[in-house]
Amino acid sequence: MEREISDRNILDTFCEEFCAIVEKHCKYIIVSGFLAIASGRTRGTEDIDMIIERMNQEQFNKLFADLTQENFVCMQSNNPKEVFEYLNENLSVRFTRRNEELPEMEVKFAKDILDAYQLKNRVKLELTGLKVWFSNININVAFKEELLKSPKDLEDARHLRKVYAEMIDEREIKEIKKLIKEYRL
Amino acid sequence: MIENTRESHLEQIDRWASFVRENPKQWKKSHSKFINAIFDKHQQFKHRLLKTPRGKEKLAELYGITNKEGYEWMKE
Repeated sequence: MEREISDRNILDTFCEEFCAIVEKHCKYIIVSGFLAIASGRTRGTEDIDMIIERMNQEQFNKLFADLTQENFVCMQSNNPKEVFEYLNENLSVRFTRRNEELPEMEVKFAKDILDAYQLKNRVKLELTGLKVWFSNININVAFKEELLKSPKDLEDARHLRKVYAEMIDEREIKEIKKLIKEYRL
Repeated sequence: MIENTRESHLEQIDRWASFVRENPKQWKKSHSKFINAIFDKHQQFKHRLLKTPRGKEKLAELYGITNKEGYEWMKE
């Protein structure tokens, strides 16, 4: 699906540029709110959520250096050792473009079987017009309906169910909800 | 009354989702204008806030920025 350049918005460009760098170092997925927004949900967000494969300090240093060279900056610290420690404790770290506080990419290491499943079953979604990897639709619907549950998240799930009706697999959603109860609740 | 408003909001979500699904090449332009407008408003707000007393500190607190080296406006 070809799109005109004017179709691109600030979040799209930021996301594609960031993902292009991360892609060179590890497997990643974009999850949650931005997936819904990139799929047409009309609501705002300040951050994009990304889950990346776990890696060691040395591998992370290379990713961090690459991001820094491409003008991205970590909001918490310029020290990759310190940033790695956050990630290793399953905390999220946030990156923006240098000198710009928004938008931000919130990055976490994959932490359990659910994240591993999401990484394994990642997809590209033509309707978004973006060449980035997303967590699959059924997983996102399950998380929003079973774990997150705010009005905004339930509306996101409703939107995704309608827009991607042919991808919805109630059996997979049910299975993921079971895993959520087991590992996250 | 509140229930009707909620119902009407959900109907609007469904209508828009149907439009996105049925018009894969058309929805993005107006959607992108909406998204960009949010960031434009933020930029305008940021410039006004930075001119106020403690504007820099407030902005850093709002966004949880502790890495002062990464943002020129924090150094100025």
